Amino acid sequence: MSHTEWWASESFWRKTAIWVTAGSFVALIFLTLDSMSAITAGSTRVPAYSVINHRIDYVFDEKRNFQVPVIGVEEPLFDQTLTEAEAEALVSRGKLTTQAKNCMNCHTLLGNGAYYAPDLTKAWLDPSWGSKDVREQMMVDFLMNPQDRLHNGLGRRMPNLGITEGEARATVAFLKWMASIDTNGFPANFTPIDQSDPPADDASAANGSPIPQQGG
Amino acid sequence: MIEPVALQDFFLTFFSAAMVILCGALYALLFAYARVRRRQRLMPLAYLAYLGLVASVLVLAMAANLFATGFWTFIVMLMLIGYLLAPHAIWHLCVGTHAHDHPDQESGPYQKQS
Amino acid sequence: MAMPGTLDSANLNGGQKLAVKYFTVALALFGAQIVFGLLAGIQYLKPDFLYGVLDFSVNRMVHINALVVWLLFGFIGSSYWLLEDEAGIPVVGLRLGNLVFWVFTLAVAVVVVVYLLVQIGPGDHSTLWLINEGREYIEAPRWADIGIVACVLAFFFNVAATFAKGRYTGIGGVLVLDLIALFGIYLAGMFYTPNISVDQYWWWWVIHLWVEATWEVLVGCLMAYGLMQTLGVRRKIVETWLYIEVALMFGSGILGLGHHYFWIGTPEYWFTIGGFFSALEPIPLVAMVVHSVFDSGTHNMKNNNHPALAWIIAHAFGNFFGAGVWGFMHTLPQINLYTHGTQWSASHGHFAFFGAYATLVIAFFYLALQKWRGNVWMSGGLAGAWRWKWALGLLNLGMVGMVMAMLVAGYEQSQIERAIEGSSWVGYFVAQAHPWFVQGMWWRQVFGWMFAAGFVLLVWDLLTLGRGERRPAQAHSESAPR
Repeated sequence: MSHTEWWASESFWRKTAIWVTAGSFVALIFLTLDSMSAITAGSTRVPAYSVINHRIDYVFDEKRNFQVPVIGVEEPLFDQTLTEAEAEALVSRGKLTTQAKNCMNCHTLLGNGAYYAPDLTKAWLDPSWGSKDVREQMMVDFLMNPQDRLHNGLGRRMPNLGITEGEARATVAFLKWMASIDTNGFPANFTPIDQSDPPADDASAANGSPIPQQGG
Repeated sequence: MIEPVALQDFFLTFFSAAMVILCGALYALLFAYARVRRRQRLMPLAYLAYLGLVASVLVLAMAANLFATGFWTFIVMLMLIGYLLAPHAIWHLCVGTHAHDHPDQESGPYQKQS
Repeated sequence: MAMPGTLDSANLNGGQKLAVKYFTVALALFGAQIVFGLLAGIQYLKPDFLYGVLDFSVNRMVHINALVVWLLFGFIGSSYWLLEDEAGIPVVGLRLGNLVFWVFTLAVAVVVVVYLLVQIGPGDHSTLWLINEGREYIEAPRWADIGIVACVLAFFFNVAATFAKGRYTGIGGVLVLDLIALFGIYLAGMFYTPNISVDQYWWWWVIHLWVEATWEVLVGCLMAYGLMQTLGVRRKIVETWLYIEVALMFGSGILGLGHHYFWIGTPEYWFTIGGFFSALEPIPLVAMVVHSVFDSGTHNMKNNNHPALAWIIAHAFGNFFGAGVWGFMHTLPQINLYTHGTQWSASHGHFAFFGAYATLVIAFFYLALQKWRGNVWMSGGLAGAWRWKWALGLLNLGMVGMVMAMLVAGYEQSQIERAIEGSSWVGYFVAQAHPWFVQGMWWRQVFGWMFAAGFVLLVWDLLTLGRGERRPAQAHSESAPR
């Protein structure tokens, strides 16, 4: 009977398999703990839900070499300034609506989902809405009655999903909040809708204010 | 930190990345075949495939701007060295694990061997 | 003993009788996957087709859910198939296993009927609990999630208790531990959060750690068993290699999760982790290539089931190209920025799921069929062998054709929609109207029909192959060392 080298033995590889698996898993747990603290709502990467009270922009950052969301002046959604709790409730209802209506099986969100309809990551900032003043109401109207509206030259249309006005407004809040997530520059080369104010206010819009840190 | 691929380098990126895997597999295949059939004449072909891999990795590294930062340069080095040695290591493991010749013991108690 | 060549459950042990039930449902769900894939594909070409009746979202949801469930049923069936052979005793708690099979199948049927008839609900928690959770691949409503966990716990009990009471082989040990991981991970997808970054973080735990880690290892266990059964490879070697594979797959696969965390809000360090493990990704493939060449050179093996072996070879190529080549082409963040969420992902997904998993489950169907018919001859000169050959050819060519068509479409999308137009909605539609994309979708449909034809032949073949065959299976010649 010839002998097997230790590095080719069953027992060595059994132990190696166990240690590699356990080691990778422990590393993943630590990375997960760290990532969770980095992406909790209210962190620098994922702003608090009350960010929907502010203007959100998407601007190239020289240092990080990609576009990043910038939280700007106060610009409440539907002209209503919400508390953190109210904002969370609204965004959550919007998120529930996107799940209940199965949005992800046509659209992508943060790039994940299906590819039959456009990505929604920066839906709030898409130039297609024309002007920032009519955007909110256009989004609500579209969500409630998409079937008759102009979509594209392909004939692809969003079906009527029975979205109520409350659900539509909540969905818009969710989309606005999602546009504020720092996605490491995804999507790239995106040109957001023009949100600049009449010249007098330009300076404050360009500078922006720090991301709200409360709540979550 | 990453430097995204420029538009004109898209095709080069996809193509060279595919060639990395294909050349790597071809190298492994020729290497193992030359060893198992004891055909040393095939061995230069295996290393030719590895040279193809080196070229593909370097093209990929240029196209995907991997030399822009230290970390990604390290990944390039890792690929060049790792893919060179992997077939050798796996071959040794094949020889080692198939070494003992006694009949199979159906799930018998585990034997310590060293 | 029944007449060889007829389907007779007397030819099967208890676990195997249960396995063929799972296989039957798996095959039916495979059919459903193809049907709804074809419907969704037609909608790319004719958007008004079934608009407002079965919208794209519904067809696509059934398409991908059927995929997950048929493969899962295939894996569960395959596990029951080898259980008694491996453990050396009858399945412990087989009556429970049988009961659970019917409950599981019924639950799947109810979920699909609700998907098709109810489709969506109001934007509150009741929809998530009763109709549809709205999260890609794990859309099953929460009641079904809980049901799946319960069913799978019963399955796990069958497997673990049988191994515990009988022999605990190396394959058995890996299988049991892998099943714990498989079902533990599923729990990570069973909660609601308004925070989409947190949502997708854990969602990838389920999807990635299933598909690129635990499923791979499960397949490794099945292959190990298959190699011993069909080629007579020695247990010690097979099990040592199973451990090597586990080390390589979990070593590169678990933290390979990083390549899904580039763009969902997670920190930049995932670029480095994802990049590093993407570079390790090909190592298990290299191991596979070297080892199979080594084996073919040192053993002179005779194969007693040609269709099964052909599908295992299809698995080797499909896994290599679908997961290896297609994955590596767009895994680095420098390029993934432009390909993530385009037809690129669809091309890779189709090729990898089919190559790595569907092919292997089909190989198990053929192994089961042979035994079920009384271990009859399934080597050369088989009556009606054209069917399995054509099924194999049509399914594989159909898949490769679809994958290539989507690749062309995705390539165009990554350039025009992403890089040039900056991912705006206008850019999206410009890219969708581009001739490369439109023609890509047509070709995808054509090859989809070819794939469907292959499936029909496959079913026909599984119903007829070996019927009336009287010759016993070719004996394997024991491996002859060099």
